[in-house]
Amino acid sequence: MIGNLGAITVGGINNMGRFGRFVWQSATASFRTCASPHAYSLIWTQMNIIGVRSVPVVMITGAFVGMTLAVQTYGQLAAMGLEERLGVLINIAVVKELGPVLAAVMLAGRVGGALTAELGTMNVTEQIDAIRSMGTNPIRYLVAPRIMACLLLTPVLIIYADLMGIVGGYLVSVVQFGINNQAYWSHSASGVELWDVTIGVAKGFFFGVAIAAISCYKGFTCKEGAQGVGRACTEAFVASFICILALNFALAVVFKAIYSTFWPLKTLV
Amino acid sequence: MNHDKKKDVPPAGGGDGVIVLENICKRFGPHQVLDNISLAIEKGKTTVVIGPSGCGKTVLVKHLIVLLRPNSGQVYFKNRRIDNLSENELNRVRTQYGFLFQGGALFDSLSVTENIIFPIKQHCKITDWNEVEELVKAKLAMVGLDGYQNQFPANLSGGQRKRVALARAIAMNPEVVLYDEPTTGLDPIRSDVINELVLKLQRELGVTSVVVTHDMTSAYKVADRIIMLHKGKIIADGDADHIRNHPHPIVQQFIHGQVDEDDLAVLRMSGKISQAQFLPRDFE
Repeated sequence: MIGNLGAITVGGINNMGRFGRFVWQSATASFRTCASPHAYSLIWTQMNIIGVRSVPVVMITGAFVGMTLAVQTYGQLAAMGLEERLGVLINIAVVKELGPVLAAVMLAGRVGGALTAELGTMNVTEQIDAIRSMGTNPIRYLVAPRIMACLLLTPVLIIYADLMGIVGGYLVSVVQFGINNQAYWSHSASGVELWDVTIGVAKGFFFGVAIAAISCYKGFTCKEGAQGVGRACTEAFVASFICILALNFALAVVFKAIYSTFWPLKTLV
Repeated sequence: MNHDKKKDVPPAGGGDGVIVLENICKRFGPHQVLDNISLAIEKGKTTVVIGPSGCGKTVLVKHLIVLLRPNSGQVYFKNRRIDNLSENELNRVRTQYGFLFQGGALFDSLSVTENIIFPIKQHCKITDWNEVEELVKAKLAMVGLDGYQNQFPANLSGGQRKRVALARAIAMNPEVVLYDEPTTGLDPIRSDVINELVLKLQRELGVTSVVVTHDMTSAYKVADRIIMLHKGKIIADGDADHIRNHPHPIVQQFIHGQVDEDDLAVLRMSGKISQAQFLPRDFE
């Protein structure tokens, strides 16, 4: 039993080491890609596949988040006579936490799964070896454009999710529950700061890179056969999901510290 | 792995080998795939590597281009040690190779033309696209597929895919072309077309070829030299006549495609097992 535990530990450390090296190679390849204009077409193609085609699913996710929040919280606020403040609650929750996290989770499922399946299939059919045999770095050709596309477009998709969450919450609150329109927006405007929106969008950069790096790594290291590719896709989604939640927690702590440090200076400005 | 970058002279006995393997050992987990292999691939000649499935032929050919790195031993290309180079340095060396993979390994998302110009786009600055189109046309004509420029790999048959992959492998006019089971899965006529292409490339472009196969008809047709691998070791090395008359029983068994006594014993055993009666399940 101790032997098994040791083997699992060593295996886990080996995997972390390989993943760390893959991330380092991907990061350097991504910087080089930024400096070579002929690679922009590859990034553009991936932006279309990863970003543009994800817009509908991310917008639907955002809308339902806002609508559900309105339905769940209206009762409690109305009982205290605070229903006009529903907008603050919904919009803060959407732009700061739920919009970014749920949009990223949807992307991990839609984009991450597709990336792992595509690269995994290329791996088992020797297409990645073919790229290497032609003197091209597969990380630079395959991984860097995908990481750049996710890095650039995840924040934009989060903005879409936020917007639809705000609209969804507004429709349920004002149209269904009959909250005063002007009061709803004025409370929302006074309660949600630019800082809240900024940290929500900034999380998108981290989530995007994490989803792309994990999905590409799983694709590059997947085992032979249909079962190997399927397993890699599942592992990629689970790892991305956990990574998004862990990153969200870490970023919440960091942004809170930054806010606490610099907020007093705001009064001086 | 030995990282002695200064040692750039191939060992004695490498002769005029364009690629030299010296004492190559490769292990995957507990399984020893290549066991102390030393080999010099002669310039301008076609070397065929034969052996039963799973004996390490593909692993051997991947070491020639350092797609796999040995656990021990050295690989030399044109008198320069390459197994200890970084991937970036290797990429420059690999432009002098062409590699035809067993399944073709064409990129599904790219058309035939885009597949063929892939290495050119990666390594050359294209100023005249008409010239590139002419080159694609010439390479496809060479493999008998002119007119298929705009097709995608999914629309091609297995033989056509292999021929397009061959056109891609020779797009940069490489000095060495490695073929991994080029005739596997093809009908005899298509197999012969591939054999003729291998010979044509050697005649017209003077390329050095290494062909991995277990198709003896193909091996006899294209080989200047045949090497047989068995359990990770070279057990026979010579021209086609030498291999035909080789005294080693495993070589004779392989080239004549005969089962051995052990296999027959297993078949007899499985015959007894297959006589066991299984009662059908009652479905209501």
